[in-house]
Amino acid sequence: MSTIASRLFPAPTSATARIVLAAIYAFSYVALDWISYFQPILKLGITPWNPQAGLTFAYLLWVGPRWGLVTAAAAFTAELLVRGAPANPLLLVMSSLWIAGCYAGAAAVLGAQVANRATLGLLPAVKFAAIAVLASLLVASGYVALFVAGHALPGAAAAGGVLRYWVGDVNGILMLTPLLLYLRQGGRGFAALSGRWPEVLAQLATLALFVWLLFGIDVSDDRLRFFYPLFVPVIWIAVRWGALGALVAALAIQLGIAIALHDAVTEAPLIDLQILMLSLELTGLLLGAVVTERASALHRLAAGEAELRAVLSAAPDAVITADPVGTLRTGNLAANQLFGMDSEVAAVSLHQLLPGLQLDTDNSRRTLTATRLDGGQFPADVAWVSLDPPAHPGWLLIVRDATERLRAQNEAQERDRVMARAMRFAVAGELASSLAHELNQPITALVSYLRASQIMAAAGSDADDRLAGTLTKASNEAIRAAQVLHRLRDFYQGSTSPSARADVLQCCASVVELLGNRPQKQGVQLSIESPVAVPAVQADRIQVEMVLHNLISNALDALSATEAGKVLVTVSKDSGRVLIGVHDSGTGVSEDALPQLFEPFNTTKPDGMGLGLAISRNLVRANGGDLLYRRSSRLGGACFEMQLDAAPRNTTSPQSGEA
Amino acid sequence: MQPTVYFVDDDAAVRDAIALLLSLKGFLSQVFSSAETFLETYRPEYRGCLLTDLRMPGMSGLDLQRTLLQRGISLPVVLLTAHGDVATTRAAMKSGAYDFLEKPVDDEVLVDVLRSAIAHDAERHSNVVEVARTTERLERLTPRERDVVKLLAEGLQNREIAERLGISPRTVEVYKARLMDKLDCRNLADVLRLMSRVEP
Repeated sequence: MSTIASRLFPAPTSATARIVLAAIYAFSYVALDWISYFQPILKLGITPWNPQAGLTFAYLLWVGPRWGLVTAAAAFTAELLVRGAPANPLLLVMSSLWIAGCYAGAAAVLGAQVANRATLGLLPAVKFAAIAVLASLLVASGYVALFVAGHALPGAAAAGGVLRYWVGDVNGILMLTPLLLYLRQGGRGFAALSGRWPEVLAQLATLALFVWLLFGIDVSDDRLRFFYPLFVPVIWIAVRWGALGALVAALAIQLGIAIALHDAVTEAPLIDLQILMLSLELTGLLLGAVVTERASALHRLAAGEAELRAVLSAAPDAVITADPVGTLRTGNLAANQLFGMDSEVAAVSLHQLLPGLQLDTDNSRRTLTATRLDGGQFPADVAWVSLDPPAHPGWLLIVRDATERLRAQNEAQERDRVMARAMRFAVAGELASSLAHELNQPITALVSYLRASQIMAAAGSDADDRLAGTLTKASNEAIRAAQVLHRLRDFYQGSTSPSARADVLQCCASVVELLGNRPQKQGVQLSIESPVAVPAVQADRIQVEMVLHNLISNALDALSATEAGKVLVTVSKDSGRVLIGVHDSGTGVSEDALPQLFEPFNTTKPDGMGLGLAISRNLVRANGGDLLYRRSSRLGGACFEMQLDAAPRNTTSPQSGEA
Repeated sequence: MQPTVYFVDDDAAVRDAIALLLSLKGFLSQVFSSAETFLETYRPEYRGCLLTDLRMPGMSGLDLQRTLLQRGISLPVVLLTAHGDVATTRAAMKSGAYDFLEKPVDDEVLVDVLRSAIAHDAERHSNVVEVARTTERLERLTPRERDVVKLLAEGLQNREIAERLGISPRTVEVYKARLMDKLDCRNLADVLRLMSRVEP
């Protein structure tokens, strides 16, 4: 439909199209003027029905007020052709320019946007009608004033002339402009007619009947009283078809009147009729606009509701409404599945589904145990709000199965615990190892001194042999102290299991998870860069995670003073080894600090023990790898690179094993 | 030069105590506070063995041992390790350390190991001297005599040698007598023993 319409009324894009359109318009103007030229005052263009005004207004709204000159030309031509130059040509030129100027100004004030919506809403309809009334009042008074001033019209006829002209133009504009603008936009509404022919025919028949009543029965002067019944079909049509339908009906009535009165000589009934017509049109336009507005509001509401319904049925969480005492009113698909209900929810109560639920506040959330209709129980996250008018009073609840969430939470906590324990163990191990080394030196010296003393005591032959015995005991005690240290160290070193396998990417992911929102809080962008597939490494997973956690934490600490820092974890393969680099955009390690970087008890942090890097390197080395420092080529700061041996393929790996 | 124990340790007390113990056990010793100092002071005439701590700031004992290896210095190296440095000790032994001892060290064991290291050094040194002497003697031979002694060492008979060199068996006999005289050997067995020292 719209394609046909747009072919009939193409948008005038090219200059030629505009000129052709202007010509069509001017021709139609003259033709309409000619058709509607009856009961004039003194052969002037003062007639009670001016469809050409409606055409003009529509034309100027379409192509823009600048084309007002075409209107002036058309009006002037009409004066010459239809009325045979009834007055001084200068007067005719001036009156034509006045008409064109007024309507161009009105079109500019109203704007095509509002005019196009005049039949769709009350506000644009009122604006449109008001501007039409005002503009045509201006046109009419100006026109009549010009002719009175030019002595082409007696002063006594001025008031009547203005009224007649005004009524004629308003009539033409109210009736035709919306219809023409609608046709230009594509006239999509005609398709709706096809299914409703009986109603359309009934409406047309009623219209015809009442028009016939108006003119067919010869009751001389009182025939106008038969006009009022015409409001009935017009209102009927306006309610059913909107403003456009009402205007089409008004047009039909107008044509009926025109046909009926074509040869009539009396003058009074026509102007009265036209005033009535005006009322009819205004009623139809405003009522129809309101009806259309209501209808589209209802339509939008229905569309919104349908959308909401779709959202609810697709929602993964159970959405339930219940009345104030807790009886279920509605439940979406997810609710039915979650609680094992069929679509009949009416007999179910909230206390049955969520036994522990206390709806004590208007709006809250809680985790509690839910019960399925078959008696099965599961942990559920429940959020609710109370429903208040205009909704039906009651409760809206959203329920989600929390089994998975709680399991993940437990797992994460367990992982944290394991990690923390491993970390404590590593710290203790490092302490023991450092302690063992530091104490071993004096003990070594002590033992050697004691041995030397023994030899010297033995050389001084006649000395008391208690001295030799005491020295032996002393050195034995020193050796015992050393053995205690050895055992302590053995205890922590025996804990590594270098044969394990670890998936590096998994380690990265779980460390990132463990860090939580710490990077975001610090405004640091943390990213991981790796090939899609990385071989597993021959290392203990927890220990790799510990080292990675330690290195990333260090990087974050190093960036704590900077803004918009970056931390990048790179994973790459290098001939049988996997390299995991932790880069940061900080200042890196100073030249002076480099030699002691991995030594224990060496730290730059105010509250650090200085064990992190020492432990990390020992852990990596215990797993057969190495941990190195260099300046980051990627971010300019520090880069700690963990090198680990790739695990041999297909050993005890269920994923990669061949069946 | 007297066999000496060159002892490297960063801990002054350990240096002093071990040095005292060594002197009481009758060893000559010289102490160094770091691997670097030892390398600076080292002279090729050094005889005896090197006793070094493993874990030191700067160059470690393992680094020192590797450096000596690279420089072709064959002084036996005995490492003093802290207990449990298993991986490092394994690496050290693989790259040719003579032995390792755990701190705190038992003086009897220390003495045993150092004695055997010094003996090892002495034997290696005497071997070197022997080879040098033999080489010097071989250089006295004429080219022809050297050809003959080489073929003798391969186990060929007089007749086979004569055939190989295109001379008569009698001439071979003459060369043989002359080279045995020059090499100071009484019989063929002596010649073969002497050659086995320089050949492999």
